[in-house]
Amino acid sequence: MIGPEDVGGVHVKYLYHCRRQLWLYARGMRPEQLSATVQLGEAVHETSYTRSSPVDLGAAKLDHLDGAAWVHEVKSSSRPSRADEAQAMHYCYRLRAVGVDAQGGILHYPKTRRTKRLPYTTQAAEQAEADIAEVLAVVSAPDSPPLLARSACRGCSYADYCWNE
Amino acid sequence: MPTAARTYWLTTSCRIRRKDQSLRIERPEGAPVHIPVTDVRDIVACEAVDLNTSVISLLNQHRINVHFLSHYGDYAGSLLTADTSVSGQTVIAQVGLAADQTASLEIARAIVASTAVNVRRVVDRRLLNRPMAVLEASIADATTREQLMGAEGTFRRSAWAVLDTRLPDWLRLDGRSRRPPRNAGNAFISYVNGIIYARMLSAIRLTPLHTGVAFLHSTMERQRHSLVLDLAEVFKPLFAERLLLRLAGRGQLKPAHFETDVNQAMLSETGRKLIVQTVRDELAVTIQHRSLGRNVAYDELLYLEALQLTRRCLEGTPYKPFRIWW
Ligand code: SF4
Repeated sequence: MIGPEDVGGVHVKYLYHCRRQLWLYARGMRPEQLSATVQLGEAVHETSYTRSSPVDLGAAKLDHLDGAAWVHEVKSSSRPSRADEAQAMHYCYRLRAVGVDAQGGILHYPKTRRTKRLPYTTQAAEQAEADIAEVLAVVSAPDSPPLLARSACRGCSYADYCWNE
Repeated sequence: MPTAARTYWLTTSCRIRRKDQSLRIERPEGAPVHIPVTDVRDIVACEAVDLNTSVISLLNQHRINVHFLSHYGDYAGSLLTADTSVSGQTVIAQVGLAADQTASLEIARAIVASTAVNVRRVVDRRLLNRPMAVLEASIADATTREQLMGAEGTFRRSAWAVLDTRLPDWLRLDGRSRRPPRNAGNAFISYVNGIIYARMLSAIRLTPLHTGVAFLHSTMERQRHSLVLDLAEVFKPLFAERLLLRLAGRGQLKPAHFETDVNQAMLSETGRKLIVQTVRDELAVTIQHRSLGRNVAYDELLYLEALQLTRRCLEGTPYKPFRIWW
């Protein structure tokens, strides 16, 4: 079973998207490696932000940290989701933990040419900490969380697993 | 399997070399072919292939498996990348289920029953009515997997006998024989089954399941990947028996597709090419999936089957093995 230090951005993202997805991910389900959506995501990286440098924080991997200590995340979806925001705050939390004075997150949506700035506040820090505890609670539960409504599953790379009969 | 990269089928013997991020495939005749490694999902080698360390490390980096079929079409082995999706927690659940007599017998029963339904669907519904009734009774009575295998064997023998009545003399099976296949019909079935085995291995490796822990076949005995044997079972009729009947019916299979000796047979080079092409095309055929509400390729059905068993292991959802529904 994973510990607090193993919780990464993907766990936090899935926590907000769907708890069932998080539970399955922790058990080795990796359909996203195959999905066309993910391949699209990689193509976005290659073409739009070639000069940014990825930063590896062990469990957390973020796209780019600029000189003013803002975390940049490039998203292939067209609008911000709570999952994206929570993920960016998680990275700030991790950076602070290793002594980098992260200021907040900037989410980039190349599809719609939008960006969203999220300053890292005390409240965000508390939430990031609570998210980690929540991830661990979901992952260690013996039973799988219920499926979302079918319409909410559209586009989820776990749909083949969840809805296959 | 849902991805943009493709499966490459090598039907003539060749050497694979590495050229930067490409595979350079050299054949005795003709110019070498370059394939960017990112275009490759996996490779099925139907003929002898030479490869070296630098190729293997490139394949490893890109998680590409290579499956080797022997001359007889037996599955000879695979070059599997070290990196798999196997997950400790899932394997623990899988092993728990396999060790639980009642649960594993239930899965084994389901596999035998669905396989028989598929055989009957493909070969002949009416003539296999009685053998099917007998099988259903034996499945209900069976308390060990050996008994289940025995019952399946009995049903299969009836099915092969019926199959023979629909084949020209020279393609008849006269009973199933492997290693080596005794005649052309057996050589055909072995070869197709070998391909399906390799595809199933690839499919299971995309899930967190362990390929060695099985329910119908004995776990890790003789066969390293015994779970592959379990899951491939239900798909064999869809490909092997069905395509044999189709190619024979259309007169597409010819004695020249086989090299036949007194007591053994194998595919000739043209025969191998014909069959590989036929199975490839068939794997790409799509049908509307009942619960997913989209078109899936036959190839993807193998992956969905492995996902269904994963769900059985992780969540206890009843496992209903694949039955031809169209
Ligand atoms: S398919 Fe639906 S229920 Fe399953 S993980 Fe995705 S969002 Fe959750």
